[in-house]
Amino acid sequence: MAKSKGDGATAKTRGEAIGVITKGSLVEGLEMKLDSAQNVEDMKAGKFVVIEGDKNDFFSMVTDMRLDAKNQEVLLHPPGREDDILRKVLAGTSTYNIVSLRPMLMMPKGAVDDDGPRPVKAIPSHFSEVQEAMEHDVAKIFGKEGDPEGRYFSIGNPLDMDTQVCLDMIRFAERSNGIFGKTGTGKSFLTRLALCGLIHYDKAVNLIFDMHNEYGFKAMKENGSSSTFVKGLKQLFGERVAIFSLDPQSTRARGVQADHEVYISYDQITVEDIAPLQDELRLNPTAVESAYLVYAIYKERWLRTLLALEGPDVEEFAREIGAHAGSLVALHRKLKRLENFPFMVSKVTDGDVVDRIMEYLDKGINVVLEFGQQTSMLCYLLVANIIARRIHEMYVKKSERFYATQRTEDQPRQLMITIEEAHKFLNPTAAKQTIFGTIAREMRKYYVSLLVVDQRPSSIDDEVLSQIGTRITALLNDEKDIQAVLTGVSGTEGLRSVLASLDSKQQALILGHAVPMPVVVKTRDYDTQFYKDMGCLDDLPEAERKAKIDKGTVALYGDN
Amino acid sequence: MTRVENVKERKPSPLSRFMPDEMAKRDGAGAERTYVGEVVESSTTELIAEARELHGGPSFGEFIRIEADLPVLGIIFNVFTHSIEPNRRPTAYGKTEEELRLEQPQIFELLRTEFQALIIGYLDGGAPVQILPPQPARIHSFVHLCTDEEVRAFTGNDDYLRRILNTSKVPTDELLIAVLRHTLRAHKHSRDYLVRMGKELSRLMGDDYDRLSSVIRRVAN
Ligand SMILES: Nc1ncnc2c1ncn2[C@@H]1O[C@H](COP(=O)(O)OP(=O)(O)OP(=O)(O)O)[C@@H](O)[C@H]1O
Ligand SMILES: [Mg+2]
Repeated sequence: MAKSKGDGATAKTRGEAIGVITKGSLVEGLEMKLDSAQNVEDMKAGKFVVIEGDKNDFFSMVTDMRLDAKNQEVLLHPPGREDDILRKVLAGTSTYNIVSLRPMLMMPKGAVDDDGPRPVKAIPSHFSEVQEAMEHDVAKIFGKEGDPEGRYFSIGNPLDMDTQVCLDMIRFAERSNGIFGKTGTGKSFLTRLALCGLIHYDKAVNLIFDMHNEYGFKAMKENGSSSTFVKGLKQLFGERVAIFSLDPQSTRARGVQADHEVYISYDQITVEDIAPLQDELRLNPTAVESAYLVYAIYKERWLRTLLALEGPDVEEFAREIGAHAGSLVALHRKLKRLENFPFMVSKVTDGDVVDRIMEYLDKGINVVLEFGQQTSMLCYLLVANIIARRIHEMYVKKSERFYATQRTEDQPRQLMITIEEAHKFLNPTAAKQTIFGTIAREMRKYYVSLLVVDQRPSSIDDEVLSQIGTRITALLNDEKDIQAVLTGVSGTEGLRSVLASLDSKQQALILGHAVPMPVVVKTRDYDTQFYKDMGCLDDLPEAERKAKIDKGTVALYGDN
Repeated sequence: MTRVENVKERKPSPLSRFMPDEMAKRDGAGAERTYVGEVVESSTTELIAEARELHGGPSFGEFIRIEADLPVLGIIFNVFTHSIEPNRRPTAYGKTEEELRLEQPQIFELLRTEFQALIIGYLDGGAPVQILPPQPARIHSFVHLCTDEEVRAFTGNDDYLRRILNTSKVPTDELLIAVLRHTLRAHKHSRDYLVRMGKELSRLMGDDYDRLSSVIRRVAN
């Protein structure tokens, strides 16, 4: 039965036949009867195959498989283990395997290259042959690393194949993106890969709120019971990455000198920065209103003024300004917690940290903000909010200037902000209050987008989710989370099962703006080979390293 | 076909002298193959031939070829020995054949072995065709056993199985099993071949799983 395509030219361009299409519809997907010479165990969910129709090739994904039998007798009296011949005889005749396929893209046969793949609007005819995908099929769809524009960045390999699946980094940078997955499935590794792609191909400048200190310098890699370290962005990209630290001691303890220590003064915190902390601080809405009352009178000194009061004086103060005493007392008590943060100072000495970050970003230098030991959610939310809000304000100004002058040199550099535990910022209530909700919703108008990393996508506001351009999703088990990741994607029936059956490590489903069709990849190894591919400067001799950086600087800022 | 695996290496069994290779040895290594019978009754679908020697007919299920312009191919579905005089039946003597041959050799002259074959195709310019021949075999033409090579060539395609399954002459499955055992031997007990045949049978027998598994088991062991 197995038809081998032995003859000359076709042998090279078409993969091995694995079955024929027997059934299906455009809406529900197609069914293939697996060739009896094939082993059903090789048909993994997420596998990439090509259906050769009469006029088109259909690029498809395996979404499900089923064992079937022509008659019940066989199932009631199955051949014994030793009855090998009978088993083989039955395979493909009485017992057979049906594999569900979801066509994702189609391409007219013999189309020239720039007449690329397009959405599926037809289905192949009965008994169309299904073939293993070949390297050039994958390249036709996902592109290949090393194009002159630096558009394509390999993020991994298709299942059971040795070729690259590339993200289109230009499209990736254009929109907000999400990286999801249960804990320990490789989100941080995926994020690091994506960031490397953005930095290496210079498609966006990054601001990374690095809650667990795993992006800047060294990160842990678990290998079973032992663990080793992998390189961080600073080690890979040298001067193109700056490390800011909220906890310089901890940063130093890990053997890194932070480029900047971060201090925040009370005057830099606005009521908008406090409002999203309602959940963390268990504030009620009237408490926030009282904060606005204080602000109305004392302006930017509102927090300093409030915290300067001692317990008993607060009620008095509330009466003076006409606020609800109970709420203001609660607000006061809870905000007192901020005084415990070592980075909170009454006055910043060496300039406003946000201005510093902005300077770096303007120069195209990526900023990693490490939190060190300050790993409380409260701290992360507060700091990320304060900084992102002001960076966003500056970007809005820059963009408006650009829209007014329309001079290319005024065009802001595309900025991508990475946040972990994103649902804390983007849950339905917080998304209305935090700057991150605004950024996600306004899309790329102001040249700022998000890279959200989260293990509970179902907690993220629907509207925000629907704005997420590219979703890179490692294994998810929770039905709600799976549903959330697939919101706003058409034809997701098959993808559900694919998502739930990913390996627990280093496998991901990628869908959305940066890939022409959903695809499952084995994530690219983050190892020495990768460091080399990224042109890692770390291991080069000093002189050569300098030369490279200078060249990079010229490329980045022009020769002046 | 990929790898040829042998189902089971057989040691010669008493039955094996009815197998074609043993017969070929009897005939002198097949150097000059002699005929095994002569057609005495012939139609499009079957024929009767008289064996050249008493008890010397081909075996049940064996493939035969009848000399003609378009040589006709058949399979043996019945072999019988009887008296040449219609109204006289041999009687029991209570002696061994050996003793009888010494004492009463004439009685063996009155016996004939005949065999019946189901026509399954013919050769056109040497190429096997799995269709009934346009003309039946002629009376008095000689019947030969097919060589392994001829069997392999003819059974390269499994359509003849349908012809066997459709006959009502004999217990069909018994014939089928006998034929398949000969075929399998010609294919050097290749497992792949057996599986292929099995699949074809599975298609032909439709839902009859019991029948299929019994046939396959009996062919394979
Ligand atoms: N691309 C990769 N290259 C090498 N190892 C990887 C890769 N992806 C995942 N791993 C392995 O998987 C482990 C877990 O990955 P990671 O720390 O990124 O998970 P996570 O989803 O971020 O977990 P958490 O939710 O706890 O933050 C790593 O320690 C590493 O051993
Ligand atoms: Mg992580």
